[in-house]
Amino acid sequence: MDRTVSDTPRLAARLIEGEPAALARAISLVESDTPAAIDILRAIRPHLGHAVVVGFTGPPGVGKSTLVNTYIAELRKRGKSVGVVAVDPSSPITGGAVLGDRIRMAEHTLDQGVFIRSLASRGALGGLSASAAQVADLMDAAGRDVVILETVGTGQSEVEMAMIADVRVVISAPGMGDDVQAIKAGILEIADILVVNKADQPLALQTCQQLKAMLGLRDLTRRSVPVLCTDAINRTGVGDLADAVEAVAGRVKQRENRSAVAGRTRHLLAQAVAKAAETHVMQSRTQTIAAIVQGIQEARLSLSEGARQVLNNLGGEGHDG
Amino acid sequence: MNKIDTRVLDDRVDRDAMAQEWRRGYEAQVSSDKVVRNRSGLEIRPLYWPEAGTDPEFDQKLGFPGSGPMTRGIYPSMHRGRTWTQRQLIGLGRPEDFNGRIKKILKSGGSALSIIPCNSVYRGIDADEVEPELLGTCGTIINTVQDMDICLADIPIGEISIGLNDPNPFTMLAQLLVVAEARGVSWDRITGTSNQSDYISHFVANHMFYRLSLTGARRVQLDAIEWLAENVPNWNPLSVVGQHTQQAGATPAQAMGLTLASAIQYAEDCKARGLDPNRFLERFTFFFDVSISFFEEVAKFRAGRRIWARLVEERFGATNPRAKRFKFHAQTSGVDLTRQQPLNNIARVAVQAMAGILGGLQSLHTDGYDEVFTTPTEGPAKVAIATQNILKHEAGLCDVIDPLGGSYYVETLTDQMEAEILAVIKEIDDQGGMFKAVESGFVQRAIGDSAAHFQEAVDTGAQIIVGVNAYQDEGDGTAHPAIDRPDPAWIQKQIDSLAAYKKTRDQARVDAALEVLRRAACSESDNTYGALVDATRAGATQGEIIAVLRDELGFGRPLVVV
Amino acid sequence: MALTATIPARVLVTKIGLDGHDRGSRIVAAYLRDAGMEVIYTEPWQKIESVVALALQEDVDVIGISSLATDHLLVPKLMKALDGAGLGHIRVIVGGIVPDDEEAVLLKSGVSRVFHPGADRADIVDVVARLARDAGANRPDG
Ligand code: B12
Ligand SMILES: Nc1nc2c(ncn2[C@@H]2O[C@H](COP(=O)(O)OP(=O)(O)O)[C@@H](O)[C@H]2O)c(=O)[nH]1
Ligand SMILES: [Mg+2]
Repeated sequence: MDRTVSDTPRLAARLIEGEPAALARAISLVESDTPAAIDILRAIRPHLGHAVVVGFTGPPGVGKSTLVNTYIAELRKRGKSVGVVAVDPSSPITGGAVLGDRIRMAEHTLDQGVFIRSLASRGALGGLSASAAQVADLMDAAGRDVVILETVGTGQSEVEMAMIADVRVVISAPGMGDDVQAIKAGILEIADILVVNKADQPLALQTCQQLKAMLGLRDLTRRSVPVLCTDAINRTGVGDLADAVEAVAGRVKQRENRSAVAGRTRHLLAQAVAKAAETHVMQSRTQTIAAIVQGIQEARLSLSEGARQVLNNLGGEGHDG
Repeated sequence: MNKIDTRVLDDRVDRDAMAQEWRRGYEAQVSSDKVVRNRSGLEIRPLYWPEAGTDPEFDQKLGFPGSGPMTRGIYPSMHRGRTWTQRQLIGLGRPEDFNGRIKKILKSGGSALSIIPCNSVYRGIDADEVEPELLGTCGTIINTVQDMDICLADIPIGEISIGLNDPNPFTMLAQLLVVAEARGVSWDRITGTSNQSDYISHFVANHMFYRLSLTGARRVQLDAIEWLAENVPNWNPLSVVGQHTQQAGATPAQAMGLTLASAIQYAEDCKARGLDPNRFLERFTFFFDVSISFFEEVAKFRAGRRIWARLVEERFGATNPRAKRFKFHAQTSGVDLTRQQPLNNIARVAVQAMAGILGGLQSLHTDGYDEVFTTPTEGPAKVAIATQNILKHEAGLCDVIDPLGGSYYVETLTDQMEAEILAVIKEIDDQGGMFKAVESGFVQRAIGDSAAHFQEAVDTGAQIIVGVNAYQDEGDGTAHPAIDRPDPAWIQKQIDSLAAYKKTRDQARVDAALEVLRRAACSESDNTYGALVDATRAGATQGEIIAVLRDELGFGRPLVVV
Repeated sequence: MALTATIPARVLVTKIGLDGHDRGSRIVAAYLRDAGMEVIYTEPWQKIESVVALALQEDVDVIGISSLATDHLLVPKLMKALDGAGLGHIRVIVGGIVPDDEEAVLLKSGVSRVFHPGADRADIVDVVARLARDAGANRPDG
């Protein structure tokens, strides 16, 4: 087969038809930031906006993947086709990763209505890989009714996800009330739905109460956030979760507007700039960068002043490394 | 290390009294002890101990075999009285093939029988549902009572100890019981062990055998233990397995600790069922890996025996002295064996077997030197048995009980291993017990870390493996064994025979019996095992039975930790 | 100066048939991860069709089948199924217990390489990296 850029429109066309192999390939091209990526993303633009993008976030081990698995089953019962983007961390040292989220979703491997893709964070700043949003768009364009994003679950990822997902499900586990407290500021701001998973374990109700109490302390003018209990293994509470997601999605889709979309794009751009700057600073062999580094070391330059200089420098001499 | 209890009397008089007590036990077991002399003509006594001096540590930690701390052995006479059982695992092709081979083995002096089913049986599926390529490659295809009957044709099943590699929910045992019934052999004459009953070890390290969900397996396990105690009183329903975890990568201390932690879990589960520790603990047996790390293995077994005896008394309050006996089967470690220069494996197996024997095992399987190529073929299997016989008769390993006892090194190491093992048990206790610790993936992670650690040592050359990362010799002249796969025509016959079996049975009766089994599984108060035996008798296949239980109690999905 | 680093190879490490031995596959997955690759790891007992679906969705370059209990006998079926799904560019390797004559059968069916117990770490990593490049060069759609 001819392997030139002219294949890209065909690939995009196949993707829009919903062909899994084309979707898989397009994801790789976009994820790897290849030249073809922009062509594909442009080609799919008219086909976006169908899917509801649901983010699942929460600390490692709370049962996100297991709950996604159970939630997929529920969605399939409701006749929805599903795409899943499951992000696992890359090693910051080697860049390698073992991607294991889909182990918990094995029962859906042979279901044509479910397409699961594991992404490594590849050094993206937050938990969600920088390209996850674009991957979600690809799945949307391929006609998936619901796209689920499972995050790494640490650090900034929650907030990042907030920018991408239509509906944000934040998951915690029994006895994690205190942990939640520690990070609650960020979490409570973004959550559309709070889930206490592992409801089969002791303390589940108590944690649920705790979360509700915390929510009660918030500004009363804000929308209400349901707190649900699920047992991802015995599959209880998942129908309620699906209902809640649908309710939120209905609201969100209505108030989705131009400025929200622009805000999201702006956020993604900011992330990309940060990533580019990082790569530039870490890999550059130029005098300029070395001089800035030395200036900071010798306390002649503040960090923020150094950063400003780097950004100025980025535009100019970025090609002598 | 355990603290010395200074209340124990430590003068000579008591030591003598203990020795005399041991002597009485010994003579009861060995009615006509013959004089043993070595090649220089010196007389070899069955046991050596510090006869003079005061040594409270000896009394507290070692004592005499068959009593007290049990460190030196669980019987007064150990191998000098009765040598270990040679239990070689076999299982090939069709039931007819198995029967032919086992008859040969029994004729040539074998005393026990052990059945390994086909991988498809381990997975709980029948021959008509599996890719035929995979049938009968590693074990015997046994789906029905009829298959079991053929396996055991002309075998006096009431007179021979039978080892069944029959994971939870124990369908092979049910088939055996129905065969016994048909032959008029009463169930109390059936002896042997369900030696793949440790579903926790399967969940963690031996996934092929793991059929029902953890909670489902737990339920059926207890049902079986309870039902068998009533109906098949001389059967050992539980063998707690350390082999799987050690082969998966756990260190010897870790493997012993995890095994004891599992035994604790099973015992606590039995107690919670209202069973009597004095009765059920007596029926617990163990199954371990024995690696080439010679002294470490000896110390592992001595320490494990000591800990178990204490646990039985202190943790479960059992007073029955038989319950304190840490009876174990050992299998030489296949992981130590190499594809490179395979004849070297004979030497490795001999050293491993010695460690197990001097560690006080009750039963032993030695691997063939073709371990890394295939399930043992006939030639290598013979060498493996000969290795046991050489150790037994030529090396004189059976002459003396616990011959390494008293060595500064071995005693120190035994204490140190004991401390390590206790630390593992404590860790598991802190996790809320073994069941919880495997549910959360804690144990899987720990084993994986140890496996990676060992591999790292091999990769860097810190651990030398002859022929693999040192002393390599490409053309060492050893031929790789030719592998025989089952004849596809025979396999087809076996599949056909299953179809014929299904046609001739009373289908209504099968359906009804499976329905009763299903209802038993759904009701907390029914015993599933009785219903399982009934379904087997009615003609249900193992695959059908397991499918029903999987439906009701959950499919066994191991927790894969990466 | 390139702003994007090299793209990691994507490798599916999995087990088919009835086998459950995973000590080796876990170690190999870690080898590849530590060599900077992205490894998709699965439960044992994958059906042939599942391996195809996984390889397709994850767009992998290499499939590594770990087989210790004779399940490699199904690999020729896998090779056919991959071809049938238009995934002929994916390179397949097998590791574990494979007798000599069956190794020949596997190679003939299109398997790129068979590794045996005692396989060398550097060898595994090098071969997988090379095969991933081969696969990339042979993709039907760029
Ligand atoms: C350890 C072991 C076990 C452990 C498994 C623990 C675990 N979680 O993995 C336990 C005790 C549970 C076990 C059970 C059984 N086992 Co077993 N087991 C072994 C043993 C001794 C070593 C395997 C091992 O882990 N080696 C160490 C690892 C690091 O090496 P490795 O897996 O070979 O991997 C290396 C290479 O092969 C290669 N490699 C492997 N996979 C891959 C994949 C890729 C992509 C690549 C690039 C490379 C690669 O790279 C690795 C690093 O060098 C072998 C014999 C042997 N010495 O090989 C028998 C063996 C594999 N087992 C066998 C059998 C039959 C079984 C049972 C069915 C026994 C029974 N009938 O009761 C059960 C089945 C259980 C199951 N499969 O779930 C047979 C298989 C026979 C055959 N193929 O014809 C063997 C060969 C033993 C024998 N001779 O009988 N076993
Ligand atoms: N008891 C219980 N365990 C669960 C539940 N959900 C997930 N788990 C277990 O929690 C562990 C981590 O699950 P996983 O889905 O991988 O979590 P993630 O890291 O958040 O994706 C696994 O052992 C799951 O089996 C639940 O509802 N109840
Ligand atoms: Mg996850």
